[in-house]
Amino acid sequence: MSNTNENHNEKEQVHISGYKEHFSTLMALLLLTMITVAISVFGANLRSLSVFTALLIATVKVIVVAYYFMHLKYDKKIYTWLVLIVAVLFVSFTVLTSIEYHNR
Amino acid sequence: MMEHISGFSLPNSGHNRDAEASKMGMWLFLFTELLLFGGLFIVYMVYRTLNPESFLLASFELDVALGTFNTVVLLVSSMTIAMSITAIQLGDTKKSILLLCTTLLLALVFLVVKYFEWSAKIHHGLFPGLDVYKNLPPGESLFFFLYFFMTGLHALHIIIGGIIIAVVIYRTKKGLVNKDKYTLTENAGLYWHLVDMIWIYLFPLFYLIH
Amino acid sequence: MTSSALNLNYLQAKKGIFSWIFSVDHKRIGLLYLYSLITFFLVGATLGILMRLELLNPGKDLFEAQTYNQIFTMHGVIMIFLFIIPSIPAVFGNFFLPIMLGTDDVSFPRLNLLSWWIYVIGAIMAISTLMFGDGPADTGWTFYAPYSVKTGTNVTMAVLAAFVLGFSSILTGLNFIVTIHRLRTPGMTFLKMPLFAWALYATSWIQLLATPIIGITLLMIAAERVLGVGLFDPSIGGDPILYQHLFWIYSHPAVYIMALPAFGIISEVLPTFSNRTIFGYKAIAFSSLAIAFVGYFVWGHHMFTSGMSGTARIIYSILTFMVAIPTAIKVFNWVATLYKGSIDVQPPLLYALGFIFQFMIGGLSGVVLGALAADIHLHDTYFVVGHFHYVMFGGTGFAFFGALHYWYPKIWGRMYNKLVANIAFFILFIGFNLLYFPMMILGLMGMPRRYYDYLPEFHLPNMISTFGSWVMAIGLLLMLGNLIAGFRRKREKIGRNPWGTGITLEWQTLSPPPVANFDRMPVLPKDGPYDYDHKPEIKE
Repeated sequence: MSNTNENHNEKEQVHISGYKEHFSTLMALLLLTMITVAISVFGANLRSLSVFTALLIATVKVIVVAYYFMHLKYDKKIYTWLVLIVAVLFVSFTVLTSIEYHNR
Repeated sequence: MMEHISGFSLPNSGHNRDAEASKMGMWLFLFTELLLFGGLFIVYMVYRTLNPESFLLASFELDVALGTFNTVVLLVSSMTIAMSITAIQLGDTKKSILLLCTTLLLALVFLVVKYFEWSAKIHHGLFPGLDVYKNLPPGESLFFFLYFFMTGLHALHIIIGGIIIAVVIYRTKKGLVNKDKYTLTENAGLYWHLVDMIWIYLFPLFYLIH
Repeated sequence: MTSSALNLNYLQAKKGIFSWIFSVDHKRIGLLYLYSLITFFLVGATLGILMRLELLNPGKDLFEAQTYNQIFTMHGVIMIFLFIIPSIPAVFGNFFLPIMLGTDDVSFPRLNLLSWWIYVIGAIMAISTLMFGDGPADTGWTFYAPYSVKTGTNVTMAVLAAFVLGFSSILTGLNFIVTIHRLRTPGMTFLKMPLFAWALYATSWIQLLATPIIGITLLMIAAERVLGVGLFDPSIGGDPILYQHLFWIYSHPAVYIMALPAFGIISEVLPTFSNRTIFGYKAIAFSSLAIAFVGYFVWGHHMFTSGMSGTARIIYSILTFMVAIPTAIKVFNWVATLYKGSIDVQPPLLYALGFIFQFMIGGLSGVVLGALAADIHLHDTYFVVGHFHYVMFGGTGFAFFGALHYWYPKIWGRMYNKLVANIAFFILFIGFNLLYFPMMILGLMGMPRRYYDYLPEFHLPNMISTFGSWVMAIGLLLMLGNLIAGFRRKREKIGRNPWGTGITLEWQTLSPPPVANFDRMPVLPKDGPYDYDHKPEIKE
């Protein structure tokens, strides 16, 4: 490979996340997991609430993973935008499909 | 690799090493993975809407304790691989390899637990095509089909992720991945986090929504 | 390397079959795709002509009903998955995107080669259904459940082939997006990119984000057949309409995978032969993105008669009408580009004009089908077949041939016989319209599609249509023969800018291009890619 020109790479600064940050992220994720399990196991009679909260908490967890573990916080903003567009697209698919099934 | 006409080469060549391009490529690939599972989530959503009671009954068959255990395993492994990227960025190759090995070990633990869960279900005849499965009430069979299909596909991703991590360990040991060239570790990390993310949704949808 | 070896063009640089099938040069990969695609196109076209032959007269002429079903399925699978989805991006995108951006390759050259290999494997799998198993699928290219799960024919292999081909498509799209983001030549901002690159950018996003959904759906069909469970079977709580949803979530955006690159070609050809800047550059660029985005949400219009809920039908119908807006914006801009241009009528321009004419008919008949009431009458009639072929063949197919004539001198450094090319175009154009316009009328009369037989009152239009298929076949053979004969014409070497008015970067390099694409730094026009007022001097 000809490695003479590296004009993209020179100007790009890298951010290094600390070990502590990763550990705190894990703690937050574990806490959220415990909350979902607790709601599901002990609050079984609040069924509709538990579906909604479980998905909500899962979404929060996924955002945490993407933001800290996957470096979206420190990366170029374009990645965040792309992730958001993909998320909007997928949610639109599910909403459009479920409109159909809830109006049969 | 590329022979240039003497004295002239283009500034932006496709043959340069471009870490940013590799990372972008990886993200785009993750989007396709997301939508691959997305299609299955749509199927799950629709069938749950059509058969709410059967899905509820069938989900009681799954072991919440094992599911929770596996969730914790995956979350911890996500942290260890994120830390291994930090280590390689700081130039601590040994620590990076150690953390990658831990991740690999946790992946194995996840698969072993999954194996016991699956074989218990298969033992009860709940795998598609077996006797008990064939006589399940409508809706419940859909639940188990989706359970095996989605967790199976997820397990396949864990295996692929494990292989990628093994490659990263090998290349780090050989010094091909180092303080200045760690795109491979980063991309393996991104992939592994995606596998984790999918499990974050699979877990409540199959084990918890009672 | 000796200095003489360095100055060889990409066709001469290395010899032997392995230097082609394992080449990571985007130009060679583009040609690999071209040769494979043309082969499958000819197979698909032959199957189409056989279908027309069966339909020449009512009643059984050549085939049994079952054979006819298998032929139209094979025709659909080959034409859609093996020809038209990869067509323009895989051939001309691969060849010209890096050159138009002023770089020497795509971002991931080896991935590019891999995607061609995956394409070949998928193609072999699709073709193998002809020879192995219980015969090729007879479901139609849509593989609708539950029939696709119950039929005895070899659907599993056909479905897996489509799954594999999807991967090839995804990897090409991924490669192009990263290339466009990372490898534009210094000074070329997004808004200074050629419109073909914009079209490919929008297309690539669809390839990337829609294809996985069909991948997983087809995998479910295969799993159902292997494990013998009815995931889409109502008797166990499943829903066949869900299959249609998942199928069209991909397959509707997929028609934009086929159409958008064609729009890009037209936007390149028109300025060159009008010798003036494109009208409404930004409108054309952003309408590509708008079509890609809105196109994701209209899939339900394929299912208006499936028993879907009324609310959903109204939503999909409105969204379908909305896609017509950005498409109409493009057509307006193309016509406005021709206005007061100094028009030079050459074969590529004829194909572009043919495209606009036929695409208008195809697009407007699509709006008719998007109207709920009209669709009840027209659904699954020959009107749909006519509409689809006007858009896909009359549109994308003609753009593909136009691009072939437009870039031919750049790719091979030779020129075909222009007079023969013009004659071939007119034969093709007349044959095409004779073949497909009667289908629209047949559809309005109520002739259903996908039958090998029809009532006697449909006889005359069917005869005209079959006659048209022969005229079109002659046109196709003449066109391809002329292009192949062009290889042998040694005559004069072609200069850098054979049309004289090409302005995008590929016209600044040698014909054929050197291995590294450029022999000197390409110069951008001052205000955007089609700035004919400040056109850079091109020295030979």
